[in-house]
Amino acid sequence: MFGWATLSTRRPASRLPTPVPEDHVSNGQRNSVVLGPKDRLVGQLFIEGDLRVAGTVEGELEATGDIEIAGGGKVNGQVTAYNRLVVGRDASLIAGDVRVGRLTVEDGATFSGRVSMGKHSVEAPKPVEAPKPVEAPQAIEPEPIPVPEPTPEPQPVVATKVVVAQQSKPIQKPTQKPTPQKGKRR
Amino acid sequence: MDVQDAVAEGTASAENGEIKRDGKKQFQMGPGDILEGKLIYDGSVHADGRVEGELRVTGNIDVANGANVKALLEASNVSVKGAVEGQVTARDKLTLGRNGRLSGDVQVRRLQIDDGATMNGHVRMGDFEHQASGQ
Repeated sequence: MFGWATLSTRRPASRLPTPVPEDHVSNGQRNSVVLGPKDRLVGQLFIEGDLRVAGTVEGELEATGDIEIAGGGKVNGQVTAYNRLVVGRDASLIAGDVRVGRLTVEDGATFSGRVSMGKHSVEAPKPVEAPKPVEAPQAIEPEPIPVPEPTPEPQPVVATKVVVAQQSKPIQKPTQKPTPQKGKRR
Repeated sequence: MDVQDAVAEGTASAENGEIKRDGKKQFQMGPGDILEGKLIYDGSVHADGRVEGELRVTGNIDVANGANVKALLEASNVSVKGAVEGQVTARDKLTLGRNGRLSGDVQVRRLQIDDGATMNGHVRMGDFEHQASGQ
């Protein structure tokens, strides 16, 4: 559902959004994936359901249900659990961002990262993407990948502009308008 | 000024609130008490009521259920059962109870978050000798 929309908007590079068959969602059974102690994942993983990690993960994890890092599980990377995240006593989570609905960290666990908690922080991961259209059009058009690329470019400039404007003159202002055309002309 | 520098309003004064436990001093607050300012204390603090400012103690800080703390906290062990807003440094362990709410950056050696607790902020874990005096 919205999970795929989120995923596709957040992963510009590697993949096109895969349409999910309706019955996959509505068969009532919750999907559950387990990475055992000898398993290892490098990259990104999105699970519609629950995820249990006892192995090693380097990369991003996202699940619409619960994520449990158990046993000697080690996760190095961003983690998003729409419902609940559990970090077990022998487990380790070193993350940039941790977005969860609920969080349990057991004593003895290794845990570092920036925690954002509550349903709102999980379902709208990035405020910029909030006004984006619903998931249906995105599944159809394969276009959205290149489109976001140019847009972020001026944004830092705008931020800099505000700071610079306070310090000195707003030199950036005229420069910023022509930026949309790619490549600098001289 | 590294002496005790606290302004206590409300029903209990520092003297009334101070009890001895196991030979260690304990600064005990009640639900109606208010502490505003900076307290540097050789012992433990049971924070209840309302606290605003800064608490640096050699022992433990215990934030009671229902307490409202907007302060920088530094202690060996910090236990949060109420609401805390501010930077927290636990030289040993930080415990967030099931009703605990913590909003702020956290530096700890050990961390326990119970289910039901709310936490928003950056967690750093590990040894931090250099950080002992805080930022």
